[in-house]
Amino acid sequence: MNHTLLSVSIALLFAIGTFMILRKDMIKVVIGLTILSHATNLLIVSAGAFLGWRTPIIINEGTGNSSGIIFTDDLANGILAPIIPEGTEVVFVDPLVQALTLTAIVISLATTAFLLILCYRVYQEHGTTDVSEIRRLKG
Amino acid sequence: MDSMQHVPIILVALPMVFAAITVLFRSKSGLQKALNIGVFAGLFVMSFSLLLDVWNNGIIVYEVGEWGKYGILLVADLLGAGMVVLSSLISLMAMIYATDYMDRKALDATFFPLFNLMAAGLNGIFLTGDIFNMFVFFEVLVLSSCGLIVLTGRGDHTKMADKLEAIFKYLILNMVSIILMLVAIASLYATVGTLNMADIAVKIAYLAETGTLPWHIHVIAMMLIVVFGYKAALFPLHFWLADVHPSAPAPIHAMLSGMVIKVGVYGILRVHYLIFHESMFMLQPVLILLSLVTITVGATSAVGQYDLKRLLAYSSVSQIGYVLLGVGMGTAYALTAAMVYLVNHAIAKSMLFLATGETLYHAGTKDIRKMGGLVQSAPFLSIIFLIGAMSIAGLPPTGGFFAKLVLFDAGLGAEYYIPIGIALVFAIFTLFYLFRTWLSIFWGEVKEHDKEDAFKTRNPTIAIKISLALLACVVIFLGIYPEPLIVLSSTIAEQLLDPQPYIAAVLERSVR
Repeated sequence: MNHTLLSVSIALLFAIGTFMILRKDMIKVVIGLTILSHATNLLIVSAGAFLGWRTPIIINEGTGNSSGIIFTDDLANGILAPIIPEGTEVVFVDPLVQALTLTAIVISLATTAFLLILCYRVYQEHGTTDVSEIRRLKG
Repeated sequence: MDSMQHVPIILVALPMVFAAITVLFRSKSGLQKALNIGVFAGLFVMSFSLLLDVWNNGIIVYEVGEWGKYGILLVADLLGAGMVVLSSLISLMAMIYATDYMDRKALDATFFPLFNLMAAGLNGIFLTGDIFNMFVFFEVLVLSSCGLIVLTGRGDHTKMADKLEAIFKYLILNMVSIILMLVAIASLYATVGTLNMADIAVKIAYLAETGTLPWHIHVIAMMLIVVFGYKAALFPLHFWLADVHPSAPAPIHAMLSGMVIKVGVYGILRVHYLIFHESMFMLQPVLILLSLVTITVGATSAVGQYDLKRLLAYSSVSQIGYVLLGVGMGTAYALTAAMVYLVNHAIAKSMLFLATGETLYHAGTKDIRKMGGLVQSAPFLSIIFLIGAMSIAGLPPTGGFFAKLVLFDAGLGAEYYIPIGIALVFAIFTLFYLFRTWLSIFWGEVKEHDKEDAFKTRNPTIAIKISLALLACVVIFLGIYPEPLIVLSSTIAEQLLDPQPYIAAVLERSVR
């Protein structure tokens, strides 16, 4: 069920983003690109999805085939960070996808900032944000 | 040998470090020029020694952080190292040219940092062994090239409004293509659980062997063809190039048309020939068809242009079609031909663009119809332009002759008679539009006599002459003695078709 919801919401985000980048207003195009990049980020994260039984990095009790004692920070025993104790075996969520998403988020932040500045400069030079009116160059 | 070990990371890191350092010296113009030319000369020497080392001792793998195949690897094989040598040569020449060509204001403020970042992005793409890392370097390349397109040079007649419009198109389309690439990478990662290209290749080969290859691998291969086809300006995705490239100042135009569109070809050669062997049977006919349409559309559009920079941009579209035709045919000889063509086109086209920038400055207009008889006031430029045009059109004794010869020979050998026939017809188109352009610019009557005095002051400076003359020497050298290039290309083609050495070199690593 979780899986279906995740897939449907990613698909919806892609649809909205695609719709938005086909608009005529430059700012809407930029918003559409942002939505598209977030849909992509969700898609990457979904590659390491919970599937209902895989353990995320931090959880108090495991379910399914996990042992239940992992990922707890236990101050009394001197465990400060949620780390798997030695000798425990557990199926956990791939953490690499989150690193990938972070990289992708940072890159899309930079490009979005650049794009917004660019839109402002285009508006200054052309006096409009309507894409269909900005066509001095003929492709 | 031991000091050679770190060359791949230096090739990426050095320009990145200098991108930051050159910001500090923005008030000292002379120092900055000398420093940057020194850095790019150093990069060229290092990349050349890397290529020699790879040629003699096999593939060099550099582990960033010593995490084995789980971390990011820089892999210098013959294809990657060869592309780095090509990009270092062109960026060194563009840098020498730019020190005199670019406006003082642009040069001091943003040119050097962004140009360094662009070189870092190019070297990173050519050397990385990790497909996500490739995506990151694509972004570095795109953003730095956007910043470089707005800068102005002395022969640059493009208005700022037009430049911004061109960048807006370029950036939006690039973002969409890069999002598509990210989707493809995410799907690939979800399927095989690794981002290392050699590792992906092993796992997909294993899946194909056991007959459990999921069908969406083919979809991913097609998505990546779209992404790289966009970078390389393949036919339905070529429309941005004629707007964006002519808006850039000449040295950046040379880099964009010389190297940045070759990145797409490199991507197809690296990713598809390494990973997607199983999908190539259906992608190759598509590539051949699309590259033929690209040749046709590019050549016919170029014939109708009177704006010199746009004409050459459409010529780039047409020429990249020839390279992708070789890539699409996919035999060892055809891949050799594609590599030879790629190198020749990169050098000749960037030389032609550098010469064009100077010609436009000299003539004071970008309309071919308003130029004429420039051979009297600019004999040097006319010779350089002629050599470039001869190489692009494929006339001996320039490198372009051998590129076309090998490509057509490979096509006939592989029995692709109709595609080669079409390509030959449009090679004649190339000859026609380039020589018509050369004749109308440099021969004929001198137009606009009242400006003749201005011509005497607008002459190429010594730095510009040096870079153009060196590139012309390389073009002639490749035409007179093409043996080393052809041998190198055929070895690259063999390695592409049999990626086992690449995979072995990457995967036989001890993990910390």
